[in-house]
Amino acid sequence: MSSSAQLSRDASSDSLSRIAQRRRKGPPPKRGYPWGKLGHYIYCALSYIFLLSPMIVVIGASFHGGEYYTAIKFPPDDPSLQWYTKIPTAQFKALALSFGLATLAALGACIIGIPAALGIVRGKLPGRSVISSVFRAPLQIPAIVTGIAFLQLYYLFGDATGLYFQGTFIGLYIGHLFVATPYVVGTVTAILQRFDVRLEEAAFSLGANRWRTFRRVTLPVIMPGVYAGALYSFMVSFADVPISIFLTAPGFVTYPVELFYGMENDFDPSILASSSLVIFFCLLVLLGMQKLVGLDNLLRSGSR
Amino acid sequence: MKTRWEYVLLPSFLIVGLLIVASQYVFLKGSFFKDLGLGRISDTASMVNYLRFFTDSFYLHTLWITVKTSGLAALFTLTLGFPVAYLIARMQSKWSMILLAGIVVATFVTIVIKVFGLIIIFSADGLVNQALMGLGIVDTPYTIIGNQTGVVVGLMHFTLGFGVLLLYSVIQTIPRSLEDAAQIHGASRWRMHLRVLFPLSLPGVTVGVLMIFNMCMGAFTSAALLGGGRVFTLPVLIQRTVMMEIKYSMAGTLAAVLLVTVLLINLLSIYLIRRLRSARLVIA
Repeated sequence: MSSSAQLSRDASSDSLSRIAQRRRKGPPPKRGYPWGKLGHYIYCALSYIFLLSPMIVVIGASFHGGEYYTAIKFPPDDPSLQWYTKIPTAQFKALALSFGLATLAALGACIIGIPAALGIVRGKLPGRSVISSVFRAPLQIPAIVTGIAFLQLYYLFGDATGLYFQGTFIGLYIGHLFVATPYVVGTVTAILQRFDVRLEEAAFSLGANRWRTFRRVTLPVIMPGVYAGALYSFMVSFADVPISIFLTAPGFVTYPVELFYGMENDFDPSILASSSLVIFFCLLVLLGMQKLVGLDNLLRSGSR
Repeated sequence: MKTRWEYVLLPSFLIVGLLIVASQYVFLKGSFFKDLGLGRISDTASMVNYLRFFTDSFYLHTLWITVKTSGLAALFTLTLGFPVAYLIARMQSKWSMILLAGIVVATFVTIVIKVFGLIIIFSADGLVNQALMGLGIVDTPYTIIGNQTGVVVGLMHFTLGFGVLLLYSVIQTIPRSLEDAAQIHGASRWRMHLRVLFPLSLPGVTVGVLMIFNMCMGAFTSAALLGGGRVFTLPVLIQRTVMMEIKYSMAGTLAAVLLVTVLLINLLSIYLIRRLRSARLVIA
């Protein structure tokens, strides 16, 4: 949207609200905030405190100065950086696995999801709604069910062929890809439905072939949807526990699963330190995304 | 320009379809065989696992707890999330970027880390209890570990960021001019919400809330860590049945019940919303 269009729209809605004011002879209407602007802000601030406080506490508590079994507190009693130097290599290994897995899952989701979205929106399909609900189905299946379903599938497949996927990268990857794909299908479908086909027709009539049209016209237009879908799939894969917990093996675990076992068994404050690193890392990824495409652009395309 | 887009779809459809059918078929079929212990199962199919599920009050109670905590978490997420999503969607300053970034970071960070923070916050000498006991509101430390409140709070942390993003994209699609129009015609702010924003956002919000509910039904981390071995939900029970008891068939049965429950609730909600809309109870 161009800035001049934005300006004129605002100006017109301003004058409209002045008219409204004259008619109602009351205080000016406060846009859509039922409890008034201040009340709305306070409510949202409380939501944010609720949402962000655990992460802030984790970062704060990671500067814990005491030994293993002294109570971990926020704010810490005697701040120190000691636990940052004591992060075990197992956690870094798990982090590397999670990162690689999430990146590849996002990539794979795009490779499967983009053609699927193109087909759903443009193909002459009998039963389009059935097909699109097949692509959406992995979101309806509870994550833990997906986990156990793939575990049992791998066992059966292994018994039949001798190839055991359980606890291998491929096995884990297929499970993550399964839940990541619907996000890309959803976001790209949403953008394609608003796509002006005349753009492609113009490219054709100017002599571009099919592939060139796709690469130079279609792809740039759907790119925000692709980025949004990829971001969602990355997040889902990077944070997943219920699927990974079944498909990993001792010594081969993703970061959230490693943390989960760490919390269930012997509690080690270095988990706090590495968690803080992950939070900072997420902020960095986000900043990169913001520089690359702009967050609001990205999320405006919606997830469906 | 005759691109046959339906052929472009075919490979993806085959991959996804095959994965769905194969994975669901295997565990559903397995759920009909009796466990013999140590991961072996009997050769003859029977309903024995399902009979056990529906006659044992422990299992039925677990199912009820799962639906209850997920439903509550979804509702609270909507209540906390909608105003935030509305604020960000209607904001025009640079601040919306920063608010959005906060939401995305919260979505990014795995729930295990957040549960960690929650445990520190609600520990006996943590922030909340110091404040509560200092003000004399409670005598004994208040805890959310090991009770259903904790599970609901954990689930909300799991879904809130995601929920806000979903609702944000729904509200984005509703033109602001409609709100102005309602107010110009003299609607109060509440009335505008009730008669314009609510009906218009209802389809999107329904889908969003169902998605959040589905996430909660499949989530096992919050319940496993905050339930502290005292609150059992079906996902926790499924993981225990597989990892500790090594009863794959019973776990399959639990998973099947969970899956069917989720699908039924989804279908029912969508049906009800359609009925409401066609009965003009919502859109007047």
